[in-house]
Amino acid sequence: MSLTATATITRAKRRGRKAGWRQITASQAFLLPATIIFIVLFIVPLGQSFWWSLTDFTGYNPNPNFIGFANYATILQDPSMLAGLLFTLLFAVGTTVLITALAIPLAVQLNKVFFGRNLVRSLWFFPAIPSMAILGLVWRYILSPLDSGVVNSVLVKLGLDSVGWLSTDALAKVSVIVVGVWAATGWHAVLYTAYLQSIPAEYYEVAKIDGATSRQQFFGITLPLLTPAMVISTFLLMTGGLKVFDLPYTLTNGGPGFSTYTITQSIVVSGVGQGRYGLASALAVLFTFAVGILSFSQLALTKVIERRFS
Amino acid sequence: MTRPLRRRIVLSVVMIALALFVAIPLYFIVINTFKTQAGMVGSPLAPPTELFFGNYHDVFTDPRIYRSFLNTLYVTAAAVLLQLLVGALAAYAMIMHTSRLNTVIANLLLIGFVVPGQSTLIPLYRMLVGMKLVDDLNGLIIMYLGGSIFCYFLIQGYMRTLPYEMIEAARIDGAGALRIFWSVVLPLIKPILVTVGVFQTMWVWNDFLIPTVFISSPAKRTVVLQVYNAVSEFTTDWPMFMTVSVVALIPMVIFFIFTQRHIVSGLLAGGVKG
Repeated sequence: MSLTATATITRAKRRGRKAGWRQITASQAFLLPATIIFIVLFIVPLGQSFWWSLTDFTGYNPNPNFIGFANYATILQDPSMLAGLLFTLLFAVGTTVLITALAIPLAVQLNKVFFGRNLVRSLWFFPAIPSMAILGLVWRYILSPLDSGVVNSVLVKLGLDSVGWLSTDALAKVSVIVVGVWAATGWHAVLYTAYLQSIPAEYYEVAKIDGATSRQQFFGITLPLLTPAMVISTFLLMTGGLKVFDLPYTLTNGGPGFSTYTITQSIVVSGVGQGRYGLASALAVLFTFAVGILSFSQLALTKVIERRFS
Repeated sequence: MTRPLRRRIVLSVVMIALALFVAIPLYFIVINTFKTQAGMVGSPLAPPTELFFGNYHDVFTDPRIYRSFLNTLYVTAAAVLLQLLVGALAAYAMIMHTSRLNTVIANLLLIGFVVPGQSTLIPLYRMLVGMKLVDDLNGLIIMYLGGSIFCYFLIQGYMRTLPYEMIEAARIDGAGALRIFWSVVLPLIKPILVTVGVFQTMWVWNDFLIPTVFISSPAKRTVVLQVYNAVSEFTTDWPMFMTVSVVALIPMVIFFIFTQRHIVSGLLAGGVKG
């Protein structure tokens, strides 16, 4: 080891450390925009929401009073908020179950070879592309309870009575859920097809040699291997369902009465519309916890499944 | 060989019939744009007896529709580009330097990934009122910047699969951090930028919640808001409303045709990274 070699090493080290410092500064600078956005658009408003939910803040009283959990109790007594809470849950669970039950068989069929497959896939997938608000408005005309509504005009022509699709409580709920299923089934079927393509064909060949029926193949091979896809799809559907706003708002505007009211519509109407910040914040906090719990359990579940499959 | 063939034909017929049934609403919107009001009420599902272009003429001579397109284009382009830039910078920073502070920040950012827009809507509304950015297109862009955190997570997941040596080599050649970002990192992560960009574009372009809360002047409406207001405006003129809808849908259809591939790959990426 000569002296020059040692000198070179120290110089290299020093340069390395210098570059390191520069790197750290740069790294911190590059993180700055994301951190500012995170603090301004997430942390501060979340804190404010939580604090306001414990006060009678309305935007008109400059010094809001601390009222504990009174706002949370009010939610459970307010007919519109309670209705919004219940319908949102019904919508989230209903669409998740129905779409999962439809999208998996659809994906299995879409994964087979047949004429016009691309066209069929595009037609199913298409409703996921445009704005849900516009589709809701179109469906409002299709399902209009008047005789001029599309479905009703067909019924009348067939000599049947027209049906109040959007004007009776139960039918309005069903209608919103059915349109929600119509809009998202194709999207989730495409998600499942992507996972189906990763299942090795040999599995099915071996099963066939062993004499397994196609039903046994579906329940024995396809369904278990789709578990990771199901976790993702149902998670997207549940969180999307809890966040639903556009579709019921444009299709029924929450009516008749409050039968298709949603949490988001409650937050917008009572918070932004009526300025009842305390009450609306309490609802927002409950909503945040629901989505948060769901998200973290999905993350945990994905990790467990990844470990089992690898 | 005939049995599989017959099965394939049966499957085709069944699947095409089902898909056409699902597509009835789309068929219904398009055909009625070529009808007069009376023609639509009489037989909403029948194809038009003669093509009537009056609705399209009226829509395309209405300056408001162009205005709303320009508004949406401005908001979408600015919001998505900023989201991608902020997300990519943060992802690169995390890859470049892992310290305890950065790990803490990375874990905290998960909150921004999970928390939905509704949770922060009211405080942010008050904030934008204070900043005089309500009823302002730039206010919408600020609201959409929250999507940067989503971009960050998808981009950093992709970056971890890249060969770190390329960045290292550029650094040994004496390139600064910003220069490495522009000329090495950004080209390398182009596929994920396209995928995430497609998803964010669909979100911002189609969003209804934020514009409906934050925009009140007719001149500042986005396309979706313009269509929503067209319904109350043409209370009974449904062919007119259908035409506005079709015109509003055209850009999304074109966008879909060109990006279909990325949407599917994005479904997978979004899924894998949670």
